Amino acid sequence: MFKKAFTKVMAVGFTSVLLFAACSGDEPTETGSGDQAGNGQEDVTIDFMHLWPSGSSPDHNRIVDGIIAEFEEMHPHVTVEVETLENEQYRNQLQVISSSNQLPDVGMTWAAGFMEPYVRGERFASLEDIFDDEFRDSFVGGVLDGYQVDGETYALPVELNIAPVFYNQAIFAEYGLEVPKTYDEFLQVIDTLVENGETPITLGNRDAWTGSMWYMYLADRFGGETALNEAIDRTGSFENDALIDAAREIQTMVERDAFIRGFNGLSDQEAKSEFMNGNSAMYMIGSWDLPNFTTNEDVPQEFRDSIDFFRFPAVEGGAGDVDSWVGGPGVGLFVAENSDVKEEAKDFVKHFVERWGEQSVEEAGIIPGTQVDTSAVDLPDLFIDVLNELNNATNITMYADVQMSANVADTHLDLIQALYGLEITPEEFAQQHEQALLEEE
Amino acid sequence: MGIDQSTEMPKRLSDKPIFQRVAKIILYVFLIGVAVLQLLPLVWLFLFSLKNNQEVFNLPPLALPQDPQWGNYVNVWTQGNIGQYFFNSVYITASAVILTVLFASLVTFAITRMQWKLSTLVLGLFMVGLMIPVHSTLIPLFNFFLNINLMDHPLAIILTYTAFNLPITIMILLGFYYTLPREIEEAAIMDGCSVHRLFFQITLPMTAPVVATTAIINMIYNWNEFVFVNTFISSDKFKTLTVGIQNFIGQYQTDWGAIGATLMISIIPILIAFLVLSNRIVEGITAGSVKG
Amino acid sequence: MNKVMSDKKVIALYVLPAFLLLMVLVYIPIILTGYYGLMRWDGIGAMEFIGLDNYQRLLQDSTFWRSAGHSGLLAIFSVLSLVGYLIISMVLAGKIKGADLFRKIYLIPMLLSSVAIAQLWMRIYHPTNGVINRFLESIGIENTPLWLADTNIVLYSIFIPIIWQYAGFYILIYYAALKNVPNELVEAARIDGATPWQIGYKIKLPLIAGVIKVTIVLAVVGSLKYFDLIWVMTQGGPNGASEVIASYMYKQAFNTYNFGYGSAIGFFLLILCLIVTYFIRKLTASKEDVQY
Repeated sequence: MFKKAFTKVMAVGFTSVLLFAACSGDEPTETGSGDQAGNGQEDVTIDFMHLWPSGSSPDHNRIVDGIIAEFEEMHPHVTVEVETLENEQYRNQLQVISSSNQLPDVGMTWAAGFMEPYVRGERFASLEDIFDDEFRDSFVGGVLDGYQVDGETYALPVELNIAPVFYNQAIFAEYGLEVPKTYDEFLQVIDTLVENGETPITLGNRDAWTGSMWYMYLADRFGGETALNEAIDRTGSFENDALIDAAREIQTMVERDAFIRGFNGLSDQEAKSEFMNGNSAMYMIGSWDLPNFTTNEDVPQEFRDSIDFFRFPAVEGGAGDVDSWVGGPGVGLFVAENSDVKEEAKDFVKHFVERWGEQSVEEAGIIPGTQVDTSAVDLPDLFIDVLNELNNATNITMYADVQMSANVADTHLDLIQALYGLEITPEEFAQQHEQALLEEE
Repeated sequence: MGIDQSTEMPKRLSDKPIFQRVAKIILYVFLIGVAVLQLLPLVWLFLFSLKNNQEVFNLPPLALPQDPQWGNYVNVWTQGNIGQYFFNSVYITASAVILTVLFASLVTFAITRMQWKLSTLVLGLFMVGLMIPVHSTLIPLFNFFLNINLMDHPLAIILTYTAFNLPITIMILLGFYYTLPREIEEAAIMDGCSVHRLFFQITLPMTAPVVATTAIINMIYNWNEFVFVNTFISSDKFKTLTVGIQNFIGQYQTDWGAIGATLMISIIPILIAFLVLSNRIVEGITAGSVKG
Repeated sequence: MNKVMSDKKVIALYVLPAFLLLMVLVYIPIILTGYYGLMRWDGIGAMEFIGLDNYQRLLQDSTFWRSAGHSGLLAIFSVLSLVGYLIISMVLAGKIKGADLFRKIYLIPMLLSSVAIAQLWMRIYHPTNGVINRFLESIGIENTPLWLADTNIVLYSIFIPIIWQYAGFYILIYYAALKNVPNELVEAARIDGATPWQIGYKIKLPLIAGVIKVTIVLAVVGSLKYFDLIWVMTQGGPNGASEVIASYMYKQAFNTYNFGYGSAIGFFLLILCLIVTYFIRKLTASKEDVQY
């Protein structure tokens, strides 16, 4: 009896395999050929790969679809085909397809350290020729730098963030705490919270870039906006007193129990949930999380109303400026060097960035890389405040792990975990950074 | 050889009823305890799928959500082509499982039952296939499928699953084939049975328990696999259920409830297939029960 | 009989389909991985031949050896855990009431994908809300362990879900193997008065020795190239405390663009698996194979 069932299953299996093999014929043709009536241009397809799946990012997705529809209408001979992958899979896939020189015509890339190998490997096309003065000026000052290699721009940013310290006003009010203006006041706030059994700061340092941001602020406040950048670009050294002092202060904070228990084993999302549930008074994160504190209906109104942010306080005697921020562009759009529809792809990228900039803040809560006219948009106050800070910023230091080459960034993130875990001294922290940077030279 | 030894064992004191009963109770308490523990993950997953993002992190794992988010299921079902993904998952998994188990059985049969010089070498080559880390294969395989024009085609996935599961399947089958009595097969050959008949009508049915075992293992591997799918498949119409999970992972934030719902939906078919297949792992075949 | 069973055409027909698939889809990546290991390559642009430099670097790379140590430790724990699985399988395969139901329930967690398992255990290990620490606090223990953050224990914390994840896999194989033991032998021993333990130890165990050997190899090789849960739960951190060979390889190949070096690690891992497998087979071959 079993034999009979088995042969049946087998037969079904085989037929189905054969069927798929047979099906292979009816795949869609990659680029339609033949003249479109109209203007006599040949039909082309732009392959576009991004990392905003419709399930997790419905707003992003809707705007993208709208922009594509517009573009296709303006250019009847162009069809844009979209593929989305989740963050990590996206990174992975970009490298795999790049190794065979099969990048999509248009795709998303992160800045600096991430994209440099793609530019050096001649995979991304220079976008210099699509800039006119007006278009260049439409970007927030300095934001394009992150996408430049040897003075040429290879991608256009679609997001720009700064990382404020978000805090829960209800918890602060309960203990009569004021927003700290100086680092000493900040430490006092932490002490008061700890004495009262509250968790001052939630931190998911398994994703060590979050711990890195706290360190970067301290580095900035101690050594000014140039100290860290110079150490990374090798005009300076990591074994700089300010950078060591900053590392020491991180350990001071850890020893004062400023951070949530077990931070080195928590992901950023787990840490964030502690803040979102009112279990923790402060949380530093990029402004991309603003919707959670303003418009996200899934989050209780009461919580959203209690959230505000402050600038990282000044360190007395430090060289830093409180209007200097940690932040930078997130993803940007590139055009593949080997694309056979480069012109259309470049037009698309330009169009995308322009239209995206007009809609993204209002519709999806994403701050674009282009200038936003705060008076013209209807936004929650918290958003406006952050946008104003962005406009008043004297400096934005790009996330250290993005600035650095991928190799050094990996070392940096490990060292950040070790520093927070009190496994190494501030001096060792600086010295090992210096060594990793030297090896790259 | 085992039988002779067993006769030499000292006879046990015949009755120890109280001791045995207590031992039995302890055994059952233990078995039931473990069973409950093993069922909890499924309960947890179900509750997980009904929570919103805040509750997922802050409620204890087995706490009931305040306001069950059935919407997670609606969300999952209406977002994207889950029906299509579902269908793809089923046929890709089924085809790969059948191909793997059949091919592996044929190879194992040839290695353990037939006489040829290269059999150990071939077996060795299959075993090496077990040792390559998956991530090392992505770039080479991508390039290969690109060159033979199978990129973005379900066959690329089916063949990859088959090839990569063959070694482990063969190894598991091997352990069984070695212990399988050969008398029946030898008798069949004496009677003039052809090798094909021997394989399909005697050996394969005799190995039903292990075939079912390897089928279950293959099925689970293929069903949950996503790295190959993501790498070789770009069209939505060929993607599988694991893509449904990806759909809810955002750049900075993930919709965990929806992922829970997707996981819950996707576990049902393999749960059923598992229960059916595992009924095939029955008592050992006794020599008299198979007629040549 | 020998003539029938050494028919070259039949052997070719049985072995070649699987063998071709193996050669093309598994060996091309293996060979290319070895080849990329000789290159300086970021996995994106042009490559440069550097001979054995990557392998030289590997031998001196303390991070790699630390990761290899972790992988080795996992392999040891995995093999030790086989004893437990074997005992459970023997109980389940014995003549106890409800064994069939127990077996099915016990295997359910193996249907869960790594995504779900990782989420589950992250809830269990959470420093403040986690199931374990809440329990420990409720019985008055202060300073509960930081399961995934403490560099001294994170490795062991993460071994537990990995070993649990594979429990079903091995139990399933052992169970099927035990069920495959011919009833006559067991009955004969029972008539001779052997206790269940004696039947298990003296009769069943030797008969499934071949299967046990296979599972030892599978456990060791599987552990040495293990990746999934570690990547999701700790990404090898904090500060490399739970890094294993495969996660280190992945980071090198895909996160830091040292694809050539990553390939060298991958290829080295394969060689390592080969050597270890060779020794396992040497060690276990001393006991002669049980044949009928």
